[in-house]
Amino acid sequence: MEGMSVSEEVRILAFLCNWCSYAGADLAGVSRLQYPANVLDVRVMCTGTISTYFVVKAFQEGMDGVLIAGCHIGDCHYLKGNYMTAKRFQVLRDALKFLGLEEGRLRLEWVSAAEGEKYAEVIRSFSDEVQALGPSPLRKKDKTA
Amino acid sequence: MSGLEQIIREKLANGSDAFLCLKNQAGVSVPVLITSPDSEDIEVAELGEVRYPLGKILIALQKEHPDTRLAVVVRGCDERAFIELSKLEQLDLDKLVMIGVACTPEEAEACGCAKPYPEDVTLGEKVENPRGLETIERLESMSDSERMQWWKEEFSRCIKCYGCRNICPMCFCKDCSLENPHLVEPGVIPPEFPSFHIIRALDMAGRCIDCGLCEESCPAEIPLRSLYRKMQEIMADKLDYRAGESRDEKSPLSFLGEEAEIKNLE
Repeated sequence: MEGMSVSEEVRILAFLCNWCSYAGADLAGVSRLQYPANVLDVRVMCTGTISTYFVVKAFQEGMDGVLIAGCHIGDCHYLKGNYMTAKRFQVLRDALKFLGLEEGRLRLEWVSAAEGEKYAEVIRSFSDEVQALGPSPLRKKDKTA
Repeated sequence: MSGLEQIIREKLANGSDAFLCLKNQAGVSVPVLITSPDSEDIEVAELGEVRYPLGKILIALQKEHPDTRLAVVVRGCDERAFIELSKLEQLDLDKLVMIGVACTPEEAEACGCAKPYPEDVTLGEKVENPRGLETIERLESMSDSERMQWWKEEFSRCIKCYGCRNICPMCFCKDCSLENPHLVEPGVIPPEFPSFHIIRALDMAGRCIDCGLCEESCPAEIPLRSLYRKMQEIMADKLDYRAGESRDEKSPLSFLGEEAEIKNLE
């Protein structure tokens, strides 16, 4: 991100599940792993609670990329919450794509509590991908700061 | 339509308590509930040149009178809607007698529906019709930014009349997300792109039965049907589900599900 001021950086919203991915992010932190700082995280009890509206709202409010990270399939604390996430995600991504939002702006990853390194890597690669796409076409002009 | 007149009399004589249909009143189709074989309305009962969704009236009638046997004339789309509504626990199909009407070839072609006939056809002839996907294919050949520009222009005509929602046979919620001030800012016309329209589209996933009433009723002539038809294609493609086709299989988005169902996720 050399030669770029903070305001030109893309902003990413990450929905992290309480039991796996939030703990994974925590592990990345205590392990002092480096990853881009343009990620804002929202802790949810389960990725299955994330309504598709939340993601639409995030883009509407000026986020350039949205990451949803939860427990691996089969490891959900609520047994099947992430099955719902997986189904919803596929529909949401294709619907947004049909309206012209690049697929790369939305990502679903499974990150366990032990995968601090994976979390850092996911953020690094997602941030690079969104950076390459640039600011979201849905960003409101008055909310760029 | 004398065939219809006869069917209504027959159904009322054979166990149906009431017949819900349209009647011609001074050249306009209005819904009417016929409860007696002597009713004068039977003579002016018609299929209606303009389609009118009777689903919401049926839901209200069944809530009031759960034990009544109602008979109703259905086209292919009406039947799909009623099947889907029964899976969403809004209608009781056991208490509903459906008299199937196949759309004429002209109607089917103009509409672009892939199944312009119900399972049991009493009136008319079944015609096969290709699914009208031209607009979707044209849009998909564009780049992402061109497509967004195209939709932005179309949606900029929206006057937020809620006509698409009000006419929709599958919309029955009392609390609508489109009226939630946190999702859709009140008093902004046209509504923000894309939240208003994407919220409705996402709610239609696994529900839309492709009747096309939304587009028909839109005063701004927004090609809404292409958006909802695309939602149908996404559901069929990713989750292997088409609304209104099966009487038992529920929409994958209405329950948590099994691992096998998420095989398509890359």
